[in-house]
Amino acid sequence: MLLLVDDEEVITSTLSRFFAKAGFEVVVAADGAQGLAAVDAYRPDVVVTDVRMPVMDGREMVRQMRARGAWTPVVLLTQLGESADRATAIDEGADDYVNKPCDPQELLSRVRALLRRQVVGRQPLTTVTELVSDGLRVNRITREVTLDGREVTLTPRAWLLLDHLITRPGELHTREDLLTAVWGFDFPTPTRSVDARVSELRRALREYAVKIETVPGVGYRFSGDVRVGAP
Amino acid sequence: MKRVGGLAVRVVPGLIGLGLGLALLLRGDDRTFHLRGPLWVWVANAGLLVSLVLVAVLRERRVRIEHAAITAEAVRATREEADARARAEHRTFVSRLDHELKNPVMAIRTAAGVMRTGEVDAQLVGVVDSQSARIAMLVADLRKLADLETVTIATAPVALEPLIDDVVAVMRDEIRTRGLPPCTIEVQLPHIPWSVPDVAGDADLLFLAVHNLLSNAVKYSGPGGSIIVRAMEGSGGVTLEIADTGQGIPADEAESVWAELQRGSNARGLPGSGLGLPLVRTIVERHGGRVQLLSREGRGTSVRMWLPFGSSSSAQPPVSTMELQIVAPASTPTS
Repeated sequence: MLLLVDDEEVITSTLSRFFAKAGFEVVVAADGAQGLAAVDAYRPDVVVTDVRMPVMDGREMVRQMRARGAWTPVVLLTQLGESADRATAIDEGADDYVNKPCDPQELLSRVRALLRRQVVGRQPLTTVTELVSDGLRVNRITREVTLDGREVTLTPRAWLLLDHLITRPGELHTREDLLTAVWGFDFPTPTRSVDARVSELRRALREYAVKIETVPGVGYRFSGDVRVGAP
Repeated sequence: MKRVGGLAVRVVPGLIGLGLGLALLLRGDDRTFHLRGPLWVWVANAGLLVSLVLVAVLRERRVRIEHAAITAEAVRATREEADARARAEHRTFVSRLDHELKNPVMAIRTAAGVMRTGEVDAQLVGVVDSQSARIAMLVADLRKLADLETVTIATAPVALEPLIDDVVAVMRDEIRTRGLPPCTIEVQLPHIPWSVPDVAGDADLLFLAVHNLLSNAVKYSGPGGSIIVRAMEGSGGVTLEIADTGQGIPADEAESVWAELQRGSNARGLPGSGLGLPLVRTIVERHGGRVQLLSREGRGTSVRMWLPFGSSSSAQPPVSTMELQIVAPASTPTS
C-alpha cells in the first residue's frame, strides 16, 4: 500500500490513478497531520509526500514518523531551493528525493527501488546515524569517516557520493543517477564527472577502495556487508 | 586628485620661501631688511590677513559640504538606476517566460478541448505528453539555475587541460552518437614556457559550463564548422576561449544573450531553452570569474571565460608582465 500526501487535489487524483494502474493500493492524505494519522491507521509500505503543505509540512511529518519509530520508506517531492544541498537529508529521515515536477515513471521507479531495499520492520540504512562495513565507519551526522580507526578527510561531493553508495549496499547505480544524487539536478554528461569523483573517493578509502565496485558498462555498486553502528 | 592639487597650491609658496631663505643663509647673505610704519597700517593689515584666512577656511568648508551633497546625489542616482534596471530585467524575464509557456500551454489546452468531445487518439495524447515535458524541462532548468546561485562552490584546484580534453572527447562522442552536426574541434593549449595553471573551483560545474559552450559552438556552426578551444594565462587567472565559425549573433545582442530565456534573434530555428548561457554565466560568476561574448553575424562567435587561479597556482612565484593574448574572432580559421 502506498500513502500519497499532497494538498493539491489535482496531484493526488492523477498520481493515485497512476500508481493504481501500476498495481498499488493507494491512500491519499491532504497534509502532514492527515498523513501521520494515515500512517498509524493503514501502516503503508511506502509514503510519497509533498514538502510544502498547510497544517503540517512534509518534513515535519517525516520527523514525527521517525520519532515514533515508523520506518516506512519516504519519498519527498522537493521544490525550488531544496534540491541543491542534500546535506540535511539524514536529519529529516527521508529515504529519497524527487524534484517536482517529475516524470511519474521516474517517481514509480524510485518507489520500487525503495521497496526492494526495504527490509520489513527494520530501520532503513538511509535513516541511521552511523554505518559500518568492516573497518570502514561512516558517521552521517558529523560526516566523520574512519578506516580502522584512522580518520580520513573527504571533499563534500565525495562524501555525498560515499553516503549515497553505503546507504544502498549491493544496489547498482548508473552514473546519471549518482550525479543527480550528489548534485540534486541532472547533468547532460555525467560519465567523466562521476568517474573522477569515484577515483577521488577510492584514493581516500585506500584498502577499502575495493568496496566501490565498478560494474562495466553500467555504473557503480557498494559491495560488502553494511551494518548499523549507531541508529 | 582635486584635494592633493589644492594642498600643493597651498604649500608651494611656503616651500619656495623657505628654500630661498635657506639659500640666502648658506650664501652668508647678512643684509638686514627693516620694516617700519605707523600703527594704523599694522592694525589694518592684521585685520585684512584675518579676513583672508577666514574666507579661505569658510570656502573650503562650503566646497566640502557641496562635494558631500554631490556624492550623496550620485549614490542615490546609481541606486535608482540599479532599481530601474532590476525592474526592467524582471519585466523582460516575465515576458520571455510568457513567450516560452504560451505555446505548450495552448497546445495542451487545445488537445484537452478536443479530447473532451470524446475524440482521444495517440496524436492528442502525444501533444499533451511532449508539451508538458517541454514545460517540465523549462521549470527544471530554471530551478537548476536558481540552485546554482546558492549552492556551495568548492575551491579545489582544477586542472583545465584534462577537463577540456574530457569535454572535447564527450562532444566528439555526442557528434557521433546524437546526430549533432559534424564539426572539427581543435584544442590549443600553451605548454611553452609552461602549461596553463589550475583554477580554483568545482570540476563538475566547470565541466558543465565548458560543455555548454562547446555544444552551443557545435549547434550554431552546423556541419563542417571549425571550433577552437584555447586557454591563456593572464594576471590573476586563466582565460578560456571557445571560438567557432558558426552563424554568429547580431552585434547588439552580445549582452542580452546572457540573460535568462533570451536567445539570439537568428536562433529561432534551432532547439534551445535560452538558459544555456545564463547557466554558464552563473557558474563562472559563482567561481569569481567573468564571461564575455564577441560575435559577428555570419562569421562566428568567441565566448571567453576568465577564472581565478587555484590556491596551488597562486602560491607559485608571480609572473612578471603578463599581457592577455586574445585573438579576434574574425581571425579564427574557416574551413
